[in-house]
Amino acid sequence: MNIIIVGCGKLGSVLANDLSSAGHNISVIDNNSECLNVLGSGFNGVKIKGIEYDNEILQEAGISTADVVLAVTRDENINITVSLIAKNIYKTPRIIARIVNPNRGYIYENLDIETVNPTLICSGILENKISDIKGVNHI
Amino acid sequence: MKSLIIGGGKVGYYLLKTLTERQYDVVLIERDRNTCTDIAQDIDSNIIYGDGTDIDVLKDAGIEEAEVVAAVTGSDEENLVICKIAKSIFNVSKTITRVNNPKNIAMFKALGVDKAVCSTEVIANLIEYEFDQENCKIIQTFERGSMILVEIKIDKDNEWNDNLIKDLDLPNECVLTSILRNEKVIYPRGNVRILENDNILVITSQVGLSELKKQSRKGGIGNARNKKRY
Repeated sequence: MNIIIVGCGKLGSVLANDLSSAGHNISVIDNNSECLNVLGSGFNGVKIKGIEYDNEILQEAGISTADVVLAVTRDENINITVSLIAKNIYKTPRIIARIVNPNRGYIYENLDIETVNPTLICSGILENKISDIKGVNHI
Repeated sequence: MKSLIIGGGKVGYYLLKTLTERQYDVVLIERDRNTCTDIAQDIDSNIIYGDGTDIDVLKDAGIEEAEVVAAVTGSDEENLVICKIAKSIFNVSKTITRVNNPKNIAMFKALGVDKAVCSTEVIANLIEYEFDQENCKIIQTFERGSMILVEIKIDKDNEWNDNLIKDLDLPNECVLTSILRNEKVIYPRGNVRILENDNILVITSQVGLSELKKQSRKGGIGNARNKKRY
């Protein structure tokens, strides 16, 4: 699959390395070249430095033939903007955005953008773990 | 009519000031507390401290009654998100946004923002189309420079001088809109004679403008038909 990953922070870089090793064609976009360097020499996808929602940058990343766009920057507004461009202008088949601030989930919902919410997922797991400990203690 | 301004930078500040002076019902949202205090000291108006992409802040500011939302922060992506929220959640009828990078104008329009204003591009266009000749002046550009309002000053040697409008050989994409003569406005009809010292306002396109330029290089603006016969 052709996958564009927007944002090369911790989440983006791990995703990029994993998906690339799994044999997908990956383009990673980030405005900070130091973040892109984190990917290391093992990464055999395309690295692009530039404004994440810039038309030329997105085209260079191959947005017109992309199967999936993953908007996982740390900036809510950039994630939304990239998702809207992919959805409305390039009709990308699958777009998933990362919710940075859980309180802002309604924006994505309202604009009909598929999301993951790492904060909620993580806090859910933590809560479960704690309740496990309690359970053990009770016995 | 109630309007909402998001972003208290230079654009937001003067927008708030101007609209307040004109007695409009305006509210400004700014996310920097110090900036809010500074503006509040200068302008007697409604200023709300908060993030303009936060639904509760927007409700506080009265977005539900607002007819116009102007997003004028320095970040294009933030402006876009604000306009999308205003449109899709609150059904605001008019959204206006400041575009910092002219490259983003097309994207904003494609994504359904009603009006995208880019001062960078407006100024760039003004410079680009500024005539070399002193008798021509760009007054205003519309739709990213596809329509241009030009003022032409008629001096004694101008080819248009002492000609009837119907005898002028105008480019296709060019309309004379008015003539200013001794501080009076004359509506140009075919039988109006152009005189020295007239200021003529012309609406034209980029193509029309370059034709006007070409004609002027041949010796004056426009070749009156009677000249052509020679």
